[in-house]
Amino acid sequence: MDTTIWRPGRGAWRKVSLSLQKYGAVMRVSIANNLAYVMEVFFRALLLVVLVFILSQLWRATFSSRGATVLSGFSINDMVWYLVAAETIAMSLPALTRRIDQEVRSGQLAYLLGRPSSYIFYNFAQYLGERLVRLTINAVVGSILALIVVGLPHFTWMGILAWPLVTFLALCIDFVAYFSIGLLAFWTEETASFALIFSRLTLVLGGVLAPLEIFPEPLRSIAQALPFSTILYGPSRTLVHFELDRFVLLLWQQLITLAVGGLILLAVYRVAIRRVNINGG
Amino acid sequence: MSIIKNCVRTLRFIGAYLVANLQAAMEYRAAFVAQVITMIANDSLWLFFWWTYFRQFPLVHGWQSTNIVVIWAVAACGFGIGMAVFGNTPRLAALIMNGGLDAYLGMPRNVLLHVCITASDPSAWGDIMFAVGAFLLILHPDPLHFALFLLLAFQAALIFAAFLVIFGSLAFFLGNTEGLAQQMLGALTTFSTYPMNIFTGVVRLLLFTVVPAGFVSFVPLQLLQRFSWPLLAGMTGFTLLFVAVAVGMFQLGLKRYESGNLLGMQN
Repeated sequence: MDTTIWRPGRGAWRKVSLSLQKYGAVMRVSIANNLAYVMEVFFRALLLVVLVFILSQLWRATFSSRGATVLSGFSINDMVWYLVAAETIAMSLPALTRRIDQEVRSGQLAYLLGRPSSYIFYNFAQYLGERLVRLTINAVVGSILALIVVGLPHFTWMGILAWPLVTFLALCIDFVAYFSIGLLAFWTEETASFALIFSRLTLVLGGVLAPLEIFPEPLRSIAQALPFSTILYGPSRTLVHFELDRFVLLLWQQLITLAVGGLILLAVYRVAIRRVNINGG
Repeated sequence: MSIIKNCVRTLRFIGAYLVANLQAAMEYRAAFVAQVITMIANDSLWLFFWWTYFRQFPLVHGWQSTNIVVIWAVAACGFGIGMAVFGNTPRLAALIMNGGLDAYLGMPRNVLLHVCITASDPSAWGDIMFAVGAFLLILHPDPLHFALFLLLAFQAALIFAAFLVIFGSLAFFLGNTEGLAQQMLGALTTFSTYPMNIFTGVVRLLLFTVVPAGFVSFVPLQLLQRFSWPLLAGMTGFTLLFVAVAVGMFQLGLKRYESGNLLGMQN
């Protein structure tokens, strides 16, 4: 006869492990789905080529007009690789808000709530799978372009090692923001406007077109303090110009943003779920 | 005389659709207002960034920081008018692929024009409001300059619409080109909002031919700074040529069109 001895610590660990396996499987399916349309993802990456090309031309003109080799601490090589890093993250964003909005409006949400999984984590796993495929292809296409335009980057090993961690946290912050905006479909006629504004604030104040160092004061300090900088500027700067104290500061900023954003998401989700009506038939 | 009558009838036809599309958008008043305000905020954010950038790092070759306002105003107004009036052009490739042209073929009006004006993008009104507001408030133009700005924005709108028709019509020959048309539109709008001074050689040539961003922003900027009749004639000539190419491609492709045998009605 088997005797099962209940061990609270072990049980909790097993539950976490099973959950990880479950959501890991959702993520793998999402990756496979997106790889099935890999040419479409490549097509999207072509716009990244256009953007990086235009911006690199702009920076070349700016450097040459000022007769400088370094501007705000960035050489032309750093600047182009920074742009590639920032655009790689920015252009890998899937249409998360639209999907959540449609699930809420169509009532599909009610069916998904009945599954033996958390609606939030299920969507996170699906989002992560889609985003990782786009991110990887963007990184490959962008890197080839940067190699052609300015040659090899001057990354440090610490920057290369730190980049995946801060980029993952940036993707998590994006998820929390866009998922919360999607849930607003419970109350508003359309959520695309909110998503567009958040996205533009992330791009402009988050430093997608240039490092925040180029802004004049006090705009630079304000932009650096805002959470948008943790999504694009922080990870891209970590890769191109790694500095330990700035990296630690970024990690704290990302963790605090994620914690506050996560709490807001949970609060919105809890209130929203009470408004779901499930009818038989 | 009959040409004038035809023109008036066509303009009334376009106007009727524009009003109907606007009324349809106003059915969801809150969403419409939100989209318009969002687009104004979006454009203003970009303009603010580039204004800051060019004040910090002015380019040489006679570039002024106010030039970015002109470029953004003309491009945004052109894009806005294009998407408000010819708002169905981004969906042309999908309509061709799904047999969606059937509903228009039996109508007495010109098929291409009818397809293009059936829908309108509500957020385009935000682009127009931003552009007119930015041009008037920042540049304080005299009435003649403002009239010229409107004329150039209208020509830019025709270029945007023709560009989408050309890439949408490729669906007659190549299959689904919706993604390609979207990417190319993205490239055209992006190139249109940067100073042309930074491009040289083959890229510059492409920007005055295949991806005519030069005619959307650079030529209008030159005209608004130093007006000349030959340049305006060149701009008008290119616009007409580009529209003619778009109409020709659509007509050529229409001969290859196969009905989708789809039961449906125009909406």
